[in-house]
Amino acid sequence: MSLSREEVIHIAKLARLELSDNEIERYQQQLSSILEYADRLKELNTSQIPPTSSVLPARSRFRDDVPVESLPTDKLLKNAPQSEKDQFKVPPALEGPQ
Amino acid sequence: MTEYEAIIGLETHIQLNTTTKIFCSCKADSWFDPPNTNICPVCTGLPGALPTLNKAVVEKAVLLAKAMHANLLPLSYFARKNYFYPDLPKGYQISQYDKPIAVGGFLDMPMNPANGQSYIRHITIDNMHLEEDAGKTRNEPGRRLIDFNRCGVPLIEMVTGPDLRSADEAAQYLIRLRQLLRWLGISEADMEKAHLRCDANVSIRPKGASHLNPKTEIKNVNSIDAVKEAIGKEIERQTNEMEAGHKIETWTLEWDEDAGVLRKMRSKETEADYRYFREPDLLAIRMTDEWRNAILEGFPELPLERRARFIEDYGLPEYDAEILTGERSLSDYFETTVKTYKGDPKRVSNWIMNDILRMVNEAGKPAYELKLTPAFLAEIIQLVDSGTINTSTGKNLLGKVETSGRAPSKIVEEEGLAKVSDDSAIREVCAKIMAASPNETASYKAGKVTLIGWFVGQVMKEMRGKADPQIARKIMEEMLSQ
Repeated sequence: MSLSREEVIHIAKLARLELSDNEIERYQQQLSSILEYADRLKELNTSQIPPTSSVLPARSRFRDDVPVESLPTDKLLKNAPQSEKDQFKVPPALEGPQ
Repeated sequence: MTEYEAIIGLETHIQLNTTTKIFCSCKADSWFDPPNTNICPVCTGLPGALPTLNKAVVEKAVLLAKAMHANLLPLSYFARKNYFYPDLPKGYQISQYDKPIAVGGFLDMPMNPANGQSYIRHITIDNMHLEEDAGKTRNEPGRRLIDFNRCGVPLIEMVTGPDLRSADEAAQYLIRLRQLLRWLGISEADMEKAHLRCDANVSIRPKGASHLNPKTEIKNVNSIDAVKEAIGKEIERQTNEMEAGHKIETWTLEWDEDAGVLRKMRSKETEADYRYFREPDLLAIRMTDEWRNAILEGFPELPLERRARFIEDYGLPEYDAEILTGERSLSDYFETTVKTYKGDPKRVSNWIMNDILRMVNEAGKPAYELKLTPAFLAEIIQLVDSGTINTSTGKNLLGKVETSGRAPSKIVEEEGLAKVSDDSAIREVCAKIMAASPNETASYKAGKVTLIGWFVGQVMKEMRGKADPQIARKIMEEMLSQ
């Protein structure tokens, strides 16, 4: 299975990555070979094996609905490249009306 | 012109009123809190932080599933919905996808159009998803500011089938859903505070047709009136387009509340772009019969069932039953009063709809918090029925009991409010008033008999409302004619 150039551009867009033409070509090859590798699983006969929807044990683990102290605002904002009025500051929406 | 019918489906997001968020122990309700104060490594997506499911979220979802006749899945799973947006710190939203907490369900909604026949609209539910809310984005000139307080607040997403046929039905569905959520005590369901959010899918087709035409999705409608108005306008627009021979395109529209218009929005990711996959950081929700039964123990009679029963058992008009079951504690109040009073339920209904409802609204608290308990109200109505006090004294007593919390009969006794039907006492007062008002007396005798109302008013005032107004009137007339 190989990916088209357009598919690579689309995947890059979903990941908000800007790729050069060289990179598009390289990732097209690399991603395609990863998919081909994974495709090898299809060679196995799995007709007698029930689908695995999760490898985790089928039991719940819960937390009681009791609050604990939160993280101080200034500690959180240490991770913000920019902040204003105790909030993360990000660029304005780029996609305007069509 | 072809007659069209609208096909409407509503996607609702319900904010649950848990104390803490869905996957961490931060406080969930931040309405009055400054930005970024109810946050932690889990809800702000710091590396290595792990989510743990809040048990109360599942319990509340079970109540809603039961009320909507939905089927709980024995095993349900969380999934990651991947997309980039600044208010989503992890780069994905934890939601549910192919194995949600509950599937199916319906609500049979009574419709009573102002001019037309009543009918029941059967509204189906596809499924119910548990998910976390995203943060809040505020647009400022040249930048956006992000507050993560709302990240991780528990939501239930519930989507109806394309079963609604008018803007009125869509609005009514939201009214019934809001009533139900409050009745169950699982959400404050205040649309203005975004506890209940709604997107509407709208298409039209010639009446009687069975195919579905392309639909548009209306977003950002945050009041019941706005839902009604936005859907109405979209039906009108699509009708005009079709009449003009144009095709309807599958747009996403945003409702501009201030301008009262719909605007076309940017194209969204398609479903495949979300790259859903099982959330590896959370275990399944295992819904055993035992646990479900424990949650549903004491499950209440639902508002529409109670409404029907009030009409059936108490012979109430539909109008009364609707108002009395608008809210759970009021309907409990009514029923407890009826049981204590033992008389005509309609009489209790009148007292509640005329007076108690106003007191509840003014006090801004549920009926069960009134000091004027159902037992006290029943006592007041009985005092009026037995002729011990007159109706206006009864009405005054409501406020007195509410202020003092003391028994009505005690107050009547202590303040001497019992009705005086003893002639001699009334005659004495009548004579006194005639003596004090020679001008009015002369006018009356000269033929201005309409003054009788004034005279009776004076008697009632003098006797602080204790006289029987009918008897007072009879005596006064008799004495003035002598």
